[in-house]
Amino acid sequence: MRGLLANLALQNLGRRKARTLLLIAAVAVGSGALFAGATLMSSIERSMAVGFTRMGADLMVVPDGALTNITAALLTVEPTDLVLDADLVDKASLTSVGRSAPQKIARVEHSGIGSHHDSVDLIGFDPARDFTIQPWLVEKLNRGLQAGDVILGAGRDAPLGSQLLIFGKPHVVYGRLGRTGVGTHERGVFMASATLEALAGAIQGYGKPMPVLQPGKVTGFLIELAPGATSLQARFAILSTLQGVKVVSGDTTLSGIRQGLTSLLDGILVLMIVMLASTALMVSVLFSAIVTERRGELGLLKAIGARRAQVLGMMMVEAMLATGIGGALGVALGVLVMRLYERSLVYNLDRLGVPFVWDDLARTVAFAAGAVVLSVLVGALGVLYPAWRASRRDAYDLVRGEA
Amino acid sequence: MLACRQLSKTYRTERGDVDAVVELDLEVEAGCYAAIIGRSGSGKSSLMAMIGGLSRPSGGTVTIDGTDIWRLGDDALARFRNGRIGFVFQFASLLPTLRLVDNVALPAMLGGARSSASTYDKASALLARMGLRDRVDAYPSEVSAGEQRRAAIARALINDPVLLLADEPTSDLDEQTEIEIMDELMGVNRELGTTLVLVTHNLALAEQAEQIVHIANGVLVA
Ligand SMILES: Nc1ncnc2c1ncn2[C@@H]1O[C@H](COP(=O)(O)OP(=O)(O)OP(=O)(O)O)[C@@H](O)[C@H]1O
Ligand SMILES: [Mg+2]
Repeated sequence: MRGLLANLALQNLGRRKARTLLLIAAVAVGSGALFAGATLMSSIERSMAVGFTRMGADLMVVPDGALTNITAALLTVEPTDLVLDADLVDKASLTSVGRSAPQKIARVEHSGIGSHHDSVDLIGFDPARDFTIQPWLVEKLNRGLQAGDVILGAGRDAPLGSQLLIFGKPHVVYGRLGRTGVGTHERGVFMASATLEALAGAIQGYGKPMPVLQPGKVTGFLIELAPGATSLQARFAILSTLQGVKVVSGDTTLSGIRQGLTSLLDGILVLMIVMLASTALMVSVLFSAIVTERRGELGLLKAIGARRAQVLGMMMVEAMLATGIGGALGVALGVLVMRLYERSLVYNLDRLGVPFVWDDLARTVAFAAGAVVLSVLVGALGVLYPAWRASRRDAYDLVRGEA
Repeated sequence: MLACRQLSKTYRTERGDVDAVVELDLEVEAGCYAAIIGRSGSGKSSLMAMIGGLSRPSGGTVTIDGTDIWRLGDDALARFRNGRIGFVFQFASLLPTLRLVDNVALPAMLGGARSSASTYDKASALLARMGLRDRVDAYPSEVSAGEQRRAAIARALINDPVLLLADEPTSDLDEQTEIEIMDELMGVNRELGTTLVLVTHNLALAEQAEQIVHIANGVLVA
């Protein structure tokens, strides 16, 4: 019996090919937009999450009198001879400061890295507190960072795990950072502060002593604002509490971009919901017309003994079949559209400093399944009310086909 | 076998109520052939629809084989229609997307009782009996109006109903076809003992009936 009713539903769809195709197309557009929108949104959100944590800090605290060269990414502080105490920010315990990461920077020559006279920035950080350097790691050894390990900027190419002599002392290349676009970062050599301090003797053999290489001294701090705190609040708190420092802030356009992208995504979400709702409405209008048109047939089925559930079931199968096919087609359409626009999307996001990463396959498949299920649901719900109303009526009224 | 008591049907329309059937009492014996006659608009189809379980009465009862059918629940009534009543409509009533044999088999399949193979065998046999042996695989649009009506009769018989209701089954057919179809119906009544209630305009056909029910304006005329 199942077979015959399903067959009937299938043939009903086939009887009005143009209308069925139109219905399938409409649902496909809705489902495709939903699938592509969800996948893109989720991917962009993920990319942004990765991108913005990589963007670095909100503020930088350096010794008053230090030269500052502010780049878009507050990733490291600038080298200077002036130093601060490593526990300076911690001791002040400021509520507007979320995280703070102390950094040491020593700009050295004759290090043995690269060609002889190149100056190299050796950057020491506290691995436990750092939040601006390690997020940039694109490759690393399969273990934690140890004493004697160094991380290279993107501009340096030594294989992972290979030995690197710095002032004659052996170090292990632990990892490599992604491109930041800032030259001193790309040529920098990053390591735990303790590793840098251990080089103090060797470095001092080549020139004047560097105060930053002493334990307990740092070049500056990278600051992430506490949630809800403004840059101005933090700056004021820092300057009024700590002596001999200055506060440098990063590029404010970044937070603008972040907010802009977020509101754009919210807009897309609203658009998608509206689109879905209008597809659902259209489908239900269409189906109430289809049910009206097929009243005679439904009445006939009732007359020869079809139960209400069977009549309803047949109409539901018909609707769900059409919208299900539409939903699946929409997913295919969405994949196609995303493939087509992938390049320009990646390029545009990249210009904002957000490296684009697609969602993982499992999530994408889940979105695809969701789009199809939702399409089927739209069909089921669209037909349910008109079919239910029709199935309640006397068979004779239906057969006679009056309103 | 069939008993109607105080059976009424009032259609509510925007221009007031229409009393199509008014407190009608009727009894038909088992195996009987009863003809219902009356002018157009006298309420024949309304009466048939109430007897056939297709249109809920405004008042009164319809009892078939001891079952007060309008007191049954929706599904029970559907099952009753399916198993006990065969209905032939005043107009073409086959599902256009199904072959004749599928149309005939459908009520049996809806009842869900027999195996599909034996159901189809029976459907083919009924079509053959109605003179459609070569058209079992044809679609309704591929056969004539008379052949469609015959297939509809075959469909009405597939579940071996105790009551066969035919509402002007020959109204839009030529005389020769009308006679052939009436022969089939009366053959069923005679050979299978199926109670037959037939609405007709053809007085000659009505005269062959064991019982003639004449209605005018929704009430019986003696
Ligand atoms: N759905 C309806 N709404 C309102 N009035 C109706 C409806 N169905 C039938 N009627 C009216 O009820 C009366 C009886 O109609 P019915 O169809 O039972 O007559 P009939 O005897 O079968 O006529 P015919 O021989 O033309 O088929 C008519 O006056 C008709 O106009
Ligand atoms: Mg009539």
